[in-house]
Amino acid sequence: MLKKIKVEEAIGTQLAHDITEIRPGEFKGPAFRKGHTVCDDDICHLQKLGKNHLYLLDLEEDEVHENQAAAILAGGLAGAGVVWENNPREGKISLHAAFDGLLTIDTAALAAFNMVEEVMCATLHSHTLVKKGELVAAMRAIPLVMKRAPVERAAAIARQNGGVVAVKPLRKARVGLVITGSEVYHGLIEDKFAPTLSRKVTELGSEVAGVTFAPDDEGRIADAIRRHLDSGCDLLLLSGGMSVDPDDVTRKAIRQAGAGEVHYGAAALPGAMFLTATIGEVPLLGVPACGLHHRVTVLDLVLPRILAGERIGRKELAFIGHGGLCRDCPACSYPHCPFGKGS
Amino acid sequence: MKPFHELLETSAAAHGHLCPGQVVGVRMAILGCRLIGLDEPTRRDQIKKLIVYVEMDRCTADAVAHVTGVKLGRRSLKFMDYGIMAATFVNLETGRAFRVLSTEEARSLAAVYAPEVDGKSARQLAAYRRMPDSVLFRVQKVRVKLDACDLPGPTRRKAVCSRCGQVVRDGREAVADGGILCKPCTEDCYFSHPREVAWPDMNWTPQEAGAPAAEPAGRRACTLLHLH
Repeated sequence: MLKKIKVEEAIGTQLAHDITEIRPGEFKGPAFRKGHTVCDDDICHLQKLGKNHLYLLDLEEDEVHENQAAAILAGGLAGAGVVWENNPREGKISLHAAFDGLLTIDTAALAAFNMVEEVMCATLHSHTLVKKGELVAAMRAIPLVMKRAPVERAAAIARQNGGVVAVKPLRKARVGLVITGSEVYHGLIEDKFAPTLSRKVTELGSEVAGVTFAPDDEGRIADAIRRHLDSGCDLLLLSGGMSVDPDDVTRKAIRQAGAGEVHYGAAALPGAMFLTATIGEVPLLGVPACGLHHRVTVLDLVLPRILAGERIGRKELAFIGHGGLCRDCPACSYPHCPFGKGS
Repeated sequence: MKPFHELLETSAAAHGHLCPGQVVGVRMAILGCRLIGLDEPTRRDQIKKLIVYVEMDRCTADAVAHVTGVKLGRRSLKFMDYGIMAATFVNLETGRAFRVLSTEEARSLAAVYAPEVDGKSARQLAAYRRMPDSVLFRVQKVRVKLDACDLPGPTRRKAVCSRCGQVVRDGREAVADGGILCKPCTEDCYFSHPREVAWPDMNWTPQEAGAPAAEPAGRRACTLLHLH
């Protein structure tokens, strides 16, 4: 329960909450912290901040202060790989990445959490690559005093799958590259795929264990896949031969090599003819020719998720559709653009 | 209690169709029973401990009644015509009572819990299976004042309407102008202008098993009269 008193009569009382001061372009933060004992000198400062009245706090048994509520909520929201300090400022608590990795947001649980009245949480987009210590989410209980029950319900909603906000580490994969295409294999044109794919792999902390070139021949491509698997590769990237021409046989070769689950076609441009498959537990990614022309394609959306341990199947490739259209800007600003942020 | 999917299947069969309201009702009943400490509400030793108040006459109400086994005729099912998707579960032995409310936001959240399912009803059906209780429901601990006349068991009291002579059971009579009245004799009644009538085949009686066949239905149909 809150009791309103005139600021002049507040000397000797303790502030019920942080009091924010904003000096445009100069400062925004708490001028006074919760618990501060108001003294004579404070009155003028408080009045300059527009405070002619203050609240005296007298919590009922079923009520919690915003700072206590924020801590309960943060405990529910923070999943694996996320850290936070129980030191709310102006009722807010920030969540940070505990290590480098891929941010994942349980968007359904986040929506359900935010549907509870008087609590909020805002996050970065799911599947964003983040660095250790980076701010990934922030939340607050909006009123100064809340009933405990809705706070605890919101926290339960948040932890329904182990926390709304999580950071997954990227595994260090041994990647086998299979560069297909008779024109490259026979030296009619120079390959550009191997260096492009190698750069994307190593930027994510994995290593390229081997590169094999194969002509447009199902058997030869399937052999190359098997050789990489036999040599211990735990992720394979295949380039070329993903289109609809009669010479494009990479898909067939992937099946011939023993892939059980093959998903062809992603709801992204560039990247419509992208493919995911698995042989045993090893993921295979088929990269269409757009990977040569565009700096960023669907591969950049999927590869970090694969390294974070996700299985990318029909549903995941379909859900990329919302936000999966690259604007093809003259100066690419990815990842600070909407590409891939809708799923 | 049987597993959720079995309860949903039998509840939908008893209700007549599977719908989102059935999912909500089955889950509401499972949660309500859990909160008041009954794990087998339809079993003989628990059935008499339970009273359920349903606040809506929708699909959900049938599912709640099916899972808990409460019945209007046993006085274990109480219908409160509030138009609210809620039910209160009362343990008569302990006095504990919890009111379980279906959240409105669950409807808005169906799209995020079952985004791959097309069609409003199918999407809600899938989403309401997936949502945790914390999203689907809010719960209030409540006190329910139960009068002896509300409880299961024999009729506690009979009164006679001073205007029409109707016998009224269990304290449902009204007192007006110093006299006892049945509800139809007050203005607080769902019908008006009652007038007693005669009806066709007034002497029909159910046949005992093995008795000769009844007269043809066609002939009976011919005797239908307009009721004025």
